[in-house]
Amino acid sequence: MMILGIETATERVSVAIGGHEGVLGMFEVTRGRRHAETLTPAIDFVCRQADVTLDEISVVAVDMEPGLFTGMRVGLASAKAIAQALRVPMIAISSLDLLAYPLRRTDKVIAAVIDARKGEIFYALYRQVPGGIQRVSEPTAGRVDDLVADLLARGQEVVCVGDGAVRYHEEIAAGHRVEIAEQFFAYPSSAPLVQLAHAKALREEWVNPWEVEALYLRKPDAEINWSTRNDGAGS
Amino acid sequence: MSTTGKHLRPVDASTVVLAIETSCDETAASLVMGGVDVLSSVVSSQIDLHAQYGGVVPEIAGRAHLDLLNPVVARAIVESGVDETRIDAVAATHGPGLIGALLVGVSAAKSLALTWDVPYVGVNHLEAHLYAGLLEKPELELPLVVLLVSGGHTMLIEMRNHGEYRLLGRTIDDAAGEAFDKVARFLDLGYPGGPAVDTIAREGDANAIDFPRAMRNDGLDFSFSGLKTSVINFVRKNPAVRTADVAASFQTAVVDVLVHKARRAAEQVGAKGVVLGGGGTANSLMRERFSAMAAADGRRVLLPSRAMCTDNAAMIGAAAWYRLRSDGPTALDTGAFPNLRLPLMDGSW
Ligand SMILES: [Zn+2]
Repeated sequence: MMILGIETATERVSVAIGGHEGVLGMFEVTRGRRHAETLTPAIDFVCRQADVTLDEISVVAVDMEPGLFTGMRVGLASAKAIAQALRVPMIAISSLDLLAYPLRRTDKVIAAVIDARKGEIFYALYRQVPGGIQRVSEPTAGRVDDLVADLLARGQEVVCVGDGAVRYHEEIAAGHRVEIAEQFFAYPSSAPLVQLAHAKALREEWVNPWEVEALYLRKPDAEINWSTRNDGAGS
Repeated sequence: MSTTGKHLRPVDASTVVLAIETSCDETAASLVMGGVDVLSSVVSSQIDLHAQYGGVVPEIAGRAHLDLLNPVVARAIVESGVDETRIDAVAATHGPGLIGALLVGVSAAKSLALTWDVPYVGVNHLEAHLYAGLLEKPELELPLVVLLVSGGHTMLIEMRNHGEYRLLGRTIDDAAGEAFDKVARFLDLGYPGGPAVDTIAREGDANAIDFPRAMRNDGLDFSFSGLKTSVINFVRKNPAVRTADVAASFQTAVVDVLVHKARRAAEQVGAKGVVLGGGGTANSLMRERFSAMAAADGRRVLLPSRAMCTDNAAMIGAAAWYRLRSDGPTALDTGAFPNLRLPLMDGSW
């Protein structure tokens, strides 16, 4: 089984391939050009360097949110197109799961926190279980205060991970037992995506490309920008 | 797995392009052979999704494209009757348009091209509108004058040759389609404004109100902002006026100017014909008046079918074929360009 993992929920563009033998190749960049420019060449590069042709891919894994709209869209559109062209199934995993999974050895509560911009965060809480992690709260879009209140109410030791945790570390750590995971883990990566997708693929927990739906924790701004019709092509 | 271009076959009459269009509120895919032969053309409109907001909401458009694109592409391939291994290139509109909408089509097209190991072609949506007319009448002789009327654009273009364009005139303020949308909204006729005005205008008297024809005899540029304002002022001063009369008189004022300037443009450059493009040219009065002009002048006027005037992917496939032939594939590290302009020969704008 060969899995192609595509991760674009945050500023990072991350592509990995792997399977039974673990992650065989990965490309990751967190600055520079934007997702749409970087992603397709990155997929090509990883496959070439790992000496895997796209025809060998049997599952396409993708981050299904929460995340930033522009990047998410590039990743989802690309992943769905590749799966459709190869006629292979897909596995969609939450970006918050991807942030928490690398910290699975801790016995603290893991808070995965993504910077949702506009003063908001996306977050969920996890705990260690044999062989991995388990989500103990639903993915939520909210403000830092909501998370802080949530953590205080639990009264447990917490490790916070993600670019939201890095950005708001002072507010989150103010006064209680919270550790912030190091910068290296701040963005979701395609390596845990391939690892988690592999476990799911063994259980055949996959979906067809047209069934993949993003989580969309945040509603679109239904405020209408009339000027977009000036910039846009119109019909 | 090689990147685009390695296995590029010669671009000829048998070249099959899968084209994708997601620049605004239509999700479309098409297979076009040799730049002129439309094997399939599937358009899934999101109008219903946006109607409640009275305009296209970019975020909703992006999400809808993401949900609709895979089935639309699958249907375009099935309906074409050719096997997907016959696809020689994958094209997508890469501008102008809404960035979040464009990115869906561009990302999908590049990924399909990579997977199938065929070239990717990024297409200029405005250039594609010029090709929509040629798709139905490829034997049309150049040079042509193209009148492009859409929600975002009103322009007169001289098409001297494939890829060789000169801007003859454009709106200095609102696009014609925008004026229709704004007037429709003011008159409470619903969205989209073009068809709404068109429909009610049929019951109105086009000569009821003498709205201004701005810049009618003044070069080839357009201005519609003043017209929109005078409609609003007139209705405020005459609240008892029949809406159908206002709509008919407004529509006639717009079409009058468009027809008049297109004719002058054609005379000026000695064009063999005039081609209409863009969703705005689906307007029934405009089609009527242009047909009359063709009869009067003995100049060929090409009125593409309504399906070809509005956004579709067949026109993207046609433009892509010519671009692939002249420029070769587009690099896979090319993104989307929300403010892309038509490439003009003299660099003017
Ligand atoms: Zn258009």
